[in-house]
Amino acid sequence: MKDARRASIWFIALIAVIVAGDRLLSWTLSRVLVRSQFRYSRLYRGGIDAQVLILGDSRGVHSFYVPAIEELTRLRAFNASYNSMSMRIAEAVLMDYLDRNRAPQLAIIEVTSVAFEGELTSELRTYAEFSPRLSVLYDEAHPSAAIAGRAFHLLNLNSGFYLEALHYMRRSDQDWINHSAMPPELRNVAPAQWQLPTPSNLAALNRMIAALRSRGVEVRLVLAPYRPAPSNMADFAQIVGRSSGLPVWNYSGAVTDPEEFADTVHLNEHGSRALLAMMKRDGLFGMTEHPPRF
Amino acid sequence: MPRRPSNHPRMRFNSLAFLVFLPLFAAGYWATAGRVRLWLMLVASIVFYAWWDWRFVFLLLFSCIVDYSLGILLENEQDDAKRKRLIILSIAVNLGLLGFFKYFNFFAGSAAQLTRSLGLGVSYDALKIVLPVGISFYVFKTMSYTIDVYRRTEKAERDLLRFSTFVVFFPELVAGPIVRASRMLPQLRHDHRFNFERMVSGLTLIASGYVRKVAIADSIAPLVDIRFAHPEAHNALSLLIGVYLYAFQIYCDFSGYSSIAIGLARIFGFDFGINFDRPYFSRGFSEFWTRWHISLSSWLRDYLYIPLGGNRGGTLRTIRNLMLTMLLGGLWHGASWTFVAWGALHGAYLVVQRFIAPIYQRVIRALRIPAFASNAFLVLFVFHLTCFAWIFFRASSFANAWQVLTGILDVHGMHIADIDNRGRILKCVAMVAVLIAFEAATFLPKRRKAVLATSPDEKVTVSAHPLEASPAMRLAFIAACVWVVLIFGSFSGNNFIYFQF
Repeated sequence: MKDARRASIWFIALIAVIVAGDRLLSWTLSRVLVRSQFRYSRLYRGGIDAQVLILGDSRGVHSFYVPAIEELTRLRAFNASYNSMSMRIAEAVLMDYLDRNRAPQLAIIEVTSVAFEGELTSELRTYAEFSPRLSVLYDEAHPSAAIAGRAFHLLNLNSGFYLEALHYMRRSDQDWINHSAMPPELRNVAPAQWQLPTPSNLAALNRMIAALRSRGVEVRLVLAPYRPAPSNMADFAQIVGRSSGLPVWNYSGAVTDPEEFADTVHLNEHGSRALLAMMKRDGLFGMTEHPPRF
Repeated sequence: MPRRPSNHPRMRFNSLAFLVFLPLFAAGYWATAGRVRLWLMLVASIVFYAWWDWRFVFLLLFSCIVDYSLGILLENEQDDAKRKRLIILSIAVNLGLLGFFKYFNFFAGSAAQLTRSLGLGVSYDALKIVLPVGISFYVFKTMSYTIDVYRRTEKAERDLLRFSTFVVFFPELVAGPIVRASRMLPQLRHDHRFNFERMVSGLTLIASGYVRKVAIADSIAPLVDIRFAHPEAHNALSLLIGVYLYAFQIYCDFSGYSSIAIGLARIFGFDFGINFDRPYFSRGFSEFWTRWHISLSSWLRDYLYIPLGGNRGGTLRTIRNLMLTMLLGGLWHGASWTFVAWGALHGAYLVVQRFIAPIYQRVIRALRIPAFASNAFLVLFVFHLTCFAWIFFRASSFANAWQVLTGILDVHGMHIADIDNRGRILKCVAMVAVLIAFEAATFLPKRRKAVLATSPDEKVTVSAHPLEASPAMRLAFIAACVWVVLIFGSFSGNNFIYFQF
């Protein structure tokens, strides 16, 4: 009986130490997280004053090379895209951006991701502490893990994003882009059909456009290049355009040189520069109204 | 036999089902005594096993009944010829089960391939045989029991309930350690009272096991998997990192499982012995095999190497016995020639060591090289040869192993900038470095004190670690392990590697 009593006390002490350490460590690590120069640390820290905001999935990351945009347009740019970011997640990120940072003058949205439900919520849970919107999405996608994350806050910091944040403690990640060229085995791949948009993502896109326009932000919907371009991209652009009421700038077949791609769906730095030059030529960076800060 | 869906929620030590199962079992265990407790252990272990695949429960019970009966017959029988026939029957049944479920397709397929290469044109369609989880472990356990009874070094167990509980006890059922009857049956003959110190030391082992498995092995797993799946897409440095990481993945995976199993048993009053003792600090391959998967290597030594003649009978016989033991040890791990190659490499290492070790010692003495430097060199040398052998163990085929090896030898591909997931690699390397430092800190003999013992006289059969024995220190250690698992753990529910064996 004596041993059982000792065990009970010891267990209570163990749980207390575990919980106290969890709270203390997670608080400390969260403070480190928001000091990083990683894109989402900057976004949730606030104070970004970009004139061009870019949103999208991995194609958004590798199509819109921020240093090239800034060279080409003399506008400050911020790319908030990330691999596997669906439009519903992009909506939460955008709303958080607008809450914490100065509204941009122009938002470029790479719309490929209206077709997918991304898995990025499990990574973005790292920032859920700063965003009720992300927290809701995470609860919806991973209900059990969300409960565990509320019990042990350290679990929310157990992510690739936290490692990225550590990696970018002292320098910005806005120059992140593919540098390699498409491997030979991918150069003769036959065109495929691209998945068509989902209603929930289209609705999220429409809400994003409405939120941006209500703040006077001009919106450009863009389809970045593929190689080869899927055969149904015109239909895809039409569906998105009809739903959003905005034209979709379809560059899906605009870049053809395999040296300008890293793989069949992602441009590399050269490809991104080529695309951005085309976009400038087509006037996508121009404002229909006189920008207030020029 | 149809394969069950891969997403079936199996009861692993790192599953939610087990977190529910364990407290229920513990409550029942401490609330009962005597035969009721044995029944509880048996039924709970069968439930644990049935969670994997209920159909194989019958196979497990069949194995229990056969060896229980043969054990009694062996003890009762006085006629040596009849006893010999009985032990042959026991070995045939056990190896027959293992051979059919684990090796039938392998040998039949290899034979068909051989005949085809000889132009005989024999074709073979593989049977759909599902490998019963844990069969390699429980078959070796029951086989060693009947052999011990045959040798009259062990008394036959006449209580079927106790014998079955020995065979199926859940902590060691699916992936070892292979706890022999001589260790386990006496512990099942009396009730174990709840002991606070044992519980704390058991939890210490469990916590360190989860760190190894969930935080280290499972974090490393995807980095290794992608390198062995597509070696052509990785440069030499990346592949080399993959091989080093695999050495620690398999070590942490299996030693983690063993640690959890030994810790669980310890909480309930049982001593399973030690299964891993910092193997990568070995200064030779014979030492390595006294530190790696000890319950298997000692089994192979006692029931294969020594009966074959061991090192008695001259150099050639010793070489033959070493090679046979290691080849079969390799084959035990899986029905593939790559496992046989892995065993052959270790056999060759042991053979070469027998010849080189005396010369090496003479050179060291002649050059007056300090023991520390010599030991450090040997540890690194043995580790690298072990890593070389792991390539064959991990590769899906010889072609795959060759791709990895040639990729590593491409010295032009050593650019760190071309390696993906550098952050994740760095995280894994950091954890491995901490593990090595932790093990090194407990390596010096003076530090290898019996910190897990509950009394100074208790024979400690688990790896010591540098914490003092106080429950407060252990509490801090366990809390730290939980934090490490929370922040670094991978919760994708990865299987333990040794479940496939």
